[in-house]
Amino acid sequence: MRNSTYLKMGLNMLVHSKLRSWLTIIGIVIGVGSVIGIVSLGDAMEANVQSKLAEMDLTNIVISPGYTKASSNLHGGPPPGMGGGSSTDSELTDDDIDALQGMDSIQYIAGSISGREEVKYAGETATLSITGVDPQVWKYMTSLKTQSGRLLEPADRYVAVIGSSVASETYDQDIGVNQVITINNKSVRVVGVLEEEGMGDDSKIYMPIDGAVELIEDAKEDVYDSITVKAKSEDLIDELTEDIEKKLMVSRHIVQEDDKDFSVIASKSMAESVTEMMSSMTLFLGAIAAVSLLVGAVGIANTMFTSVLEKTKEIGTMKAIGAKNRDILMIFLFNSAMVGLVGGILGVILGSFVSSGLQAMMGSDMTGGGGVRFTLMLEGLALAVLIGVISGVVPAYRASKLKPVDALRYE
Amino acid sequence: MTFTEIINSFKTKLNPSKFMYSLEKEAIFYSESENSTEENNSGENLKSNPSFNSGDNSVNNSNAEKISRNKEVPLIKLTNVWKLYQMGEVEFAALKGINLEIYEGEFLVILGPSGSGKSTMMNLLGCLDIPSKGTVYLNSKDISKLDESELAIIRGQMIGFIFQSFNLLPTLNTEENVLLPLEFQEEDRQIARQKASYLLEIVGLSEKKKNLPSQLSGGQRQRVAIARSLAVNPPIILADEPTGNLDSKTGDYILDFLDGLNKREGKTIIIVTHDLELIKYATRVVYIRDGEIEKIEARTKDEPGTENEPNLN
Ligand SMILES: Nc1ncnc2c1ncn2[C@@H]1O[C@H](COP(=O)(O)OP(=O)(O)OP(=O)(O)O)[C@@H](O)[C@H]1O
Ligand SMILES: [Mg+2]
Repeated sequence: MRNSTYLKMGLNMLVHSKLRSWLTIIGIVIGVGSVIGIVSLGDAMEANVQSKLAEMDLTNIVISPGYTKASSNLHGGPPPGMGGGSSTDSELTDDDIDALQGMDSIQYIAGSISGREEVKYAGETATLSITGVDPQVWKYMTSLKTQSGRLLEPADRYVAVIGSSVASETYDQDIGVNQVITINNKSVRVVGVLEEEGMGDDSKIYMPIDGAVELIEDAKEDVYDSITVKAKSEDLIDELTEDIEKKLMVSRHIVQEDDKDFSVIASKSMAESVTEMMSSMTLFLGAIAAVSLLVGAVGIANTMFTSVLEKTKEIGTMKAIGAKNRDILMIFLFNSAMVGLVGGILGVILGSFVSSGLQAMMGSDMTGGGGVRFTLMLEGLALAVLIGVISGVVPAYRASKLKPVDALRYE
Repeated sequence: MTFTEIINSFKTKLNPSKFMYSLEKEAIFYSESENSTEENNSGENLKSNPSFNSGDNSVNNSNAEKISRNKEVPLIKLTNVWKLYQMGEVEFAALKGINLEIYEGEFLVILGPSGSGKSTMMNLLGCLDIPSKGTVYLNSKDISKLDESELAIIRGQMIGFIFQSFNLLPTLNTEENVLLPLEFQEEDRQIARQKASYLLEIVGLSEKKKNLPSQLSGGQRQRVAIARSLAVNPPIILADEPTGNLDSKTGDYILDFLDGLNKREGKTIIIVTHDLELIKYATRVVYIRDGEIEKIEARTKDEPGTENEPNLN
């Protein structure tokens, strides 16, 4: 028998199959749909993170007060500038900067402070995060870029560089370069607007630390919320991180690891753990989706068994008029492959919706916002067909092995 | 290969033009019986039909002479055939030492009461089953020695089955049902379609090509089944109670049709039934009871006189 005949017969069976069989297809649809949805979402998120990481300066090391073992590894402690994340009494001061100054691998070192203050503009008030940075070195250390205006200069004091969403979203009226905003009743001139960053970094205001210290309520002179170190090159990071830790232990008179009251985190290791987290999350969700695929496969197998039973007499008839075992096997295999294919097609459609739905939910700054990759669609279809075939193998084999007499006698 | 030899030997003896002729007659017969107004047209149409066997490579006419009308060697031969069914602990013998020879061109009626083992015997004759003991020879070849695919090829090419319950595939329409055996033989699609429409014309179902079996009457279904059984032009037609589910008029039509195939075509027809009426078509009647042959009766067709064959059972 020719393949085209197998195809025709398999299709005929599919078209005439009962509602029950169509219901089992749903299992595959959901399985393939969730796999495609999750994988493409994961792809989008990973691509997004990758592109962020590519832009990111991986030579930075951030020292922050307080220490918890768990947070140091996975979450990387409070990200630079967020400040006040860990509740602790310890402080970072000029002494710490002095202790580190002059280390070979360090190119720049600077402390920064941060806090949330009321910011007024055009009669509106919003509470925004203010970060005070060292204007001497900030522009060399940061990877931020301006879309208009400039970054901070050494001579600046009561000026600010604002994030893109502060400029265009926070207030009804957009803020442009040279406009004046009011922070805690002090007028501050905007000198630059940053490019869009994503990840919640767009609603920040950067100021020279000397100015910020006056504006941020609980900030003190020479006390920092974090100290940022820029290494001379990325290769030195691991070693430098350790050295900084040792140096600070000594300068802060800490003997035991357990008493450590600061954390040193390289942006590189943070980047790594973010990527790792991302891919393990995708893997985890993918595994759940795979389980639903498995359930779908069992569903198909079940339907195939029932349909072989239902068609026993027809199988007998086909054998009587010349069908070989192989022909019967192939007809049923083609049928289950087609069940898989149909499920796969619907699943890919579902997956595209799921993926775009989730991406819309998470916002475009979490994901690239792209659709489902074409190759992923093909992979989804191939997977569905494969599952169809695999779950059809045993029933089809049993159908093919039926003895013609027995099959014909079956009622 | 042994079984291809068997098949070729059977395939060769049918003259396509003769087949054409007889089937045309059948078509006319059909038209008469149904009082069709297209009586004259149908003959004309059929003459313009392509030769029934065109493109059929397995036909080898050079052997035709040698094999045709071979009355010495039986087509099918059963020697001491037993069929045992295991019923839990006990064995039940549905056939108990059957000896029977069936020759080409016979119209054999196997007659017996219910449960006598007719269908069991039919299954053996049709290569659907193999005996528990004894041997079934098809053209002098032991069918127990053939494997599954060889038996499938024999069934597909040499035997046309007609069942009491029609056994059409419910999801295929009339035409597709008739095409199916040709698909199994990988017949060229174009030719297969011509054959199918020709056969459906003969059984008077040209108008119902696209109907599913569920959209046909019982008689029409059996006519589809007959067309299907003839699709590969097999030398043997096996029918198990072909008229069991039909009224007597339709039943007569079916039997007359088979009779026509036997007379004009020389096809070997084997019918299994419990209906005494059918012996009028037979050239030989095998009476079977409790798995044993009671007697075998040779008949001259359409004449009531009977003639015993004492040497067989
Ligand atoms: N698969 C089987 N297992 C056990 N016994 C069987 C089997 N098939 C048939 N038989 C028995 O074999 C005997 C002959 O059965 P068979 O079907 O050949 O009868 P039959 O002559 O065709 O009857 P009917 O005219 O009613 O169709 C019966 O007694 C039946 O019970
Ligand atoms: Mg029977």
